Amino acid sequence: MTILTVALKYLRGRLVASTLTAVSIALGVSLVVASVLLARGIKEGFIAGATDYNLVVGAKGSPTQLVLSVVFRMDLATPNIGYTTYRDLQEDPRVEKAVPIGIGDAYRGFRYVATDSAYFASLPWRRKTFALAAGRFFADDPPSDPTYEALLGAEAARSTGLQIGDRFYEGEEMAEYPLTVVGILRPTQSADDRAIFFSLSSYWGMNEVARAMAVKPLTAVLVRPKRMSDLPSLHRTLNVAAETQAVLPSGVLLTIFNMLAVAEDVLKVILVIVGVIVLLYVFVSMYSATMERRREIATMRALGARRATVLGIVLTESAALATMGGVGGIVGGHAVAYLAGSLLGSSGLVTNPFFFDVAEPAVLASVVLLGTLAGLLPAVLAYRTEVAENLAPLS
Amino acid sequence: MNARSAVVLHNVKKAFPLRGGLDLEVLDLEHLALPSGSTTVLRGRSGSGKTTLLNLIAGVTVPTSGTVRVGDTDVFALSEARRDRFRAEHVGYVFQTFNLLSAFSALENVMLAMMFAAAVPRRLRRRRAADLLARLGLAERLAHMPAQLSRGEQQRVAIARALANNPPLVLADEPCASLDARTANEVLGVFLSVCRQDENTLLLVSHDEAALDRAERVVDMAELNRTEARRDAA
Repeated sequence: MTILTVALKYLRGRLVASTLTAVSIALGVSLVVASVLLARGIKEGFIAGATDYNLVVGAKGSPTQLVLSVVFRMDLATPNIGYTTYRDLQEDPRVEKAVPIGIGDAYRGFRYVATDSAYFASLPWRRKTFALAAGRFFADDPPSDPTYEALLGAEAARSTGLQIGDRFYEGEEMAEYPLTVVGILRPTQSADDRAIFFSLSSYWGMNEVARAMAVKPLTAVLVRPKRMSDLPSLHRTLNVAAETQAVLPSGVLLTIFNMLAVAEDVLKVILVIVGVIVLLYVFVSMYSATMERRREIATMRALGARRATVLGIVLTESAALATMGGVGGIVGGHAVAYLAGSLLGSSGLVTNPFFFDVAEPAVLASVVLLGTLAGLLPAVLAYRTEVAENLAPLS
Repeated sequence: MNARSAVVLHNVKKAFPLRGGLDLEVLDLEHLALPSGSTTVLRGRSGSGKTTLLNLIAGVTVPTSGTVRVGDTDVFALSEARRDRFRAEHVGYVFQTFNLLSAFSALENVMLAMMFAAAVPRRLRRRRAADLLARLGLAERLAHMPAQLSRGEQQRVAIARALANNPPLVLADEPCASLDARTANEVLGVFLSVCRQDENTLLLVSHDEAALDRAERVVDMAELNRTEARRDAA
């Protein structure tokens, strides 16, 4: 029998109280771990979605709205720009890659995104890769002969239940232009999972106004310069133009992260309060256990236990509770992050709940240390228990 | 000091501080010696200082003055930590209300006492605890929790615990007071029998006639404690 086995016996002896205390620690730690994982996952999701292209070119207006709508499909589409903007950028010697984007309506909440095959191309500098789960990519059809072929993102396909060969449309006015599913993408853990892609020709074909326009409309153009040194001049050229603005997604990300930072600060305060409440709960639990056990502590001392031994027993109990709660909290935090990530992942906010952060051993160590410290005062009370005084009424 | 005395107290006084700077003297003892291997019954009325005397001998209460020797050791010349260790290895203590630890089985309660001493090697502790409980008639109750035992069985576990480290001195504070007469007689019989077999020196606080009859010596606190005598005279 050792101090550890005695401490564990005592914990088992008050199983309900011990379990509740460990669960409360686990809940607190879960909250911290899940919040950290989700915050990081959301940031990574934004970075992964926004950093493949250096510029997003669209109509003048809110830069944040442009990036959120074109890259993350999280806001209303900005006004249109002309297709000629895309043509000009394609011919610009400073541009390595320009990809046209048209943001349309939605089918059952899944946004229509018109583009061409360049959007799905594998390029050395691209972090994101597109692969087919079934079927094929839509054809790059000419404006005169739109095919109305649709390529579904993984979540769009899963949620709508559409299969290869299915025809669909949203609203009676679109019944004349049904889209036919020709392919389904594998999950990319980005906003593209919730998109329904088709060609620009189909995009223009299904819109009465666009059909009549001599210069076809686009929502935006994604641009990657040949050299980073070209980026400032491209940025300036497009911004001085009357109709267009060029936005650096990294700048918008910074704005978004600044907004998130405020939420993170609030979250930190909440987490600190949760931590304090959990520590108080551990303290109260250990304090009441020690007070109830004064006679047993006095008995142990009368049997020869040193003051340091009873101090060690109470501290070990606290540490064991904190360890159980801490481990449970880290596992629970990953589980919560996984569940939340599953919900958020399909909206383009990525998280990897199985990613083990190097800080987690430090989190566990901190939990054990703080939990043990919460038991310090009760342990000191046990240490100071007067033997004769606490045996006297009963002996 | 008598070489054959297991315990010797000399000019021991104990006073407890009261509010207002006053002290309450509860014990004033000139001399007490317990022969090694003897069984002594200590009797006296309530408040006569019996429990205080046991606590002084056990080293859990510090005397105001005087010396307490157990064997060759001046108990209060030791540091508190060493006194704890000394108590674990040399003094067994049986309480009136058993004081078993509720979260521990009968076997674990006995093994717990061995954890505080180095008298029994770690690998032998389980066997020694089981053997002691078997000698006290509890071979079938090793895994039982205190709440699952009768009061008589609980006190037998407490006796086994006091004897766990084979201490030369065993102190018992009215060990049968909370038992019915028949159970008290049974428990006392087993207790005295085991102590005699193991040649433990036993100091027993009791008013039980059966205990008084079986003791080699009976010490009356009214004669031993000068504070008590002064109180009576007043």
